[in-house]
Amino acid sequence: MNARAVAAWSATCLFIVLFTSNPAYKGLVLVAALAALAAGIGLRRMRALLVGVALIAAFAVLLNFVSAHLGTTVLFTLPADIPGVGGPYTLEALTYGVSGGITISAAILAAAPLSLMLEAHQVMDALPSALSRTGAAVAASLNLVPAVAGSFVQVGEAQRLRGWRPRGPRSWAEVIVPVVLTSVEGSIQLAESMEARGFGSGARTSLASIAMRPADWVLVAASAAAASGFIGFRSLGWAADWAPYPTLTIPTIDWRVVALCLLLFTPVALWRSRG
Amino acid sequence: MAIARLTSLSYWYPNESTASLRDVNLELDSGLTVVAGPSGGGKSTLLRILNGLVPHFHGGRIAGTAVVAGMNVVNTPTRRLARTVGFVFQDPELQTVYDSVEREVAFGLENIAMPPGDMPARIEEALTSAGAQHLAGRSIRTLSGGERQRVALASALAMRPRIVVLDEPTSQLDPEGSAMVLAAAADLARQGCAVVISEHRLDQLMPLAEALVLVDRGTVRRVEPRHWMPPAPPPMHARSAPSEEEAWSLSGVTAGFGTRVVLENASVAGHVGEVVALTGPNGGGKTTLLRLIAGALEPVAGRVERRAGRIAYLPQNPTALLHRPTLRSEVSLTLARSGEPEQPEVILETLGLLQVANRYPRDLSCGERQRAALAAVLPGRPRLVLLDEPTRGMDASARDALIGLVAKLRDGGSSIVIATHDAGLRSAVADSVLQVAGGRVSRLSAEVAKA
Repeated sequence: MNARAVAAWSATCLFIVLFTSNPAYKGLVLVAALAALAAGIGLRRMRALLVGVALIAAFAVLLNFVSAHLGTTVLFTLPADIPGVGGPYTLEALTYGVSGGITISAAILAAAPLSLMLEAHQVMDALPSALSRTGAAVAASLNLVPAVAGSFVQVGEAQRLRGWRPRGPRSWAEVIVPVVLTSVEGSIQLAESMEARGFGSGARTSLASIAMRPADWVLVAASAAAASGFIGFRSLGWAADWAPYPTLTIPTIDWRVVALCLLLFTPVALWRSRG
Repeated sequence: MAIARLTSLSYWYPNESTASLRDVNLELDSGLTVVAGPSGGGKSTLLRILNGLVPHFHGGRIAGTAVVAGMNVVNTPTRRLARTVGFVFQDPELQTVYDSVEREVAFGLENIAMPPGDMPARIEEALTSAGAQHLAGRSIRTLSGGERQRVALASALAMRPRIVVLDEPTSQLDPEGSAMVLAAAADLARQGCAVVISEHRLDQLMPLAEALVLVDRGTVRRVEPRHWMPPAPPPMHARSAPSEEEAWSLSGVTAGFGTRVVLENASVAGHVGEVVALTGPNGGGKTTLLRLIAGALEPVAGRVERRAGRIAYLPQNPTALLHRPTLRSEVSLTLARSGEPEQPEVILETLGLLQVANRYPRDLSCGERQRAALAAVLPGRPRLVLLDEPTRGMDASARDALIGLVAKLRDGGSSIVIATHDAGLRSAVADSVLQVAGGRVSRLSAEVAKA
């Protein structure tokens, strides 16, 4: 699997989901991302991610429902003098919140294959050569993450045995400050090590080849077709937007746009063997 | 002809009025050069002059000249010197960029824009020179510390440097890992490369050294290796027999992480006034055993018991604990929490740190920082003292201070457990030695423990 092909598919999903307000098309992208991820890594490995996504989406729905007192279909009303939450609660605000939840869920799931199905260095190697120094620096930073996590556990344990107890946010400074200082010192040493091996000399080359296989080209082509088709359909007025305010309406669905979104299911066929 | 020549060289770190190196005149040739001296004396600074990290990376002010392989260090950036001078740092975990061995070794080659087609042969050559060819194809995260340092050495060698500099490369390693790295360095020197290595434990290195450079408080002098004398053994402190009273015990304890069992059915105990040393290879379960005794890790099966009272725990990287504005306040914090009336000056004096009591602990030299961490954890009268590799990266004076402190705590009735690879420390303080390996804990006889 080539990181550039995966990135092309993820970018197309993000592009469509962020540039339409129509929840029907957003929902299609969400289902495509779910199906692709299930084919790529299997449902078991997705479980934690799905729980996280569901919580974030639920928060988005709740936030809009509680804060946007717009719309004509009032479900119930809280006294206006309750700070922050008082006012009418409408079906329109709830529906728009659900649409926002779908957007966030689809965006997270569309980007997830880049971290769940590829190693960090595969993603960095896929960056254009002009960004290769940035890629190497990011790869090096990612390699520090396990050391920082280990340091957090070690310092937390040692401070606890030294008498520290968590008593409010400020008390965490005794764990977080040493971990941060140690991480900064570690980063400086890593930077020294990179400099000592000629990092920053100029243009770089890369040992890794990032050749595209036929399946990767198929995915790139499907993604390109979906993205360019979506732009064209929008300019022709076929991919209509949706506005729930002031009165809720059913989103318009054009079957040509639906067919276009079905191209985003291409990874289901290509990645199935990895599940 | 000398491959590196330093003439009347002095160097000041930024915002420092005292020179870290003073009027250095030194010539280095091919073969193995050992750089020795106390922590904070200027060894690392001297080594960093050779590849230009000092002054180009660290800043500061430099006077005099340093010429390495015909290049003036002051005018040549480190990234250009990197083609001539390879550098291996102390901590194997903090010099890794990629997660695969080949990519890591290729990092320098990528930086000098070598055509990708030429890289595999160069990588194989470098791995072979570092004695790490068997590691090809492995993920870095699966390697031991010694293996990682060999990969770091291969990464430096891939650039075909004329000089290889190693800054305390074995300070974080167990004896097996240390031997592995030192053997590779000695092989390089035999092949005609100039190898410059700084170390605290010189016993293994000195028989191979062709030159010895002593660095102390910024002054540098070259001496004949044959004039080097092995250091005096650590001080021995008279000890009384431990009490019969148990201070801690494990009965049929099994422990691990997830499905991985690290210790299985372990039954051991320590007594009041006893120093127990834990030995065994990296990953054998020593730290897990310490965490079980401390109560930081719950066993999967079995029972852990310890007598009531304060536990003092020194983790593997003790300086990571330091965060207060002064060393005195670090010690006061521990004493205030334990409610003990002792003054901070008592332990600071024991560890020779009174003069730096009001300084920011992270600004101290490496050796002082090690002792500062000991002072922060061990003041007062802890009932149970647990030390995890306390002499990692420690110079002789810091180690002697630790030995004195352990003897004092033991005589005060503390029960002490030390996980250590340091045979000198074991022989100086341990009443008994436990071997922790392959998930098993076994008590070693006095003869085996000494060997």
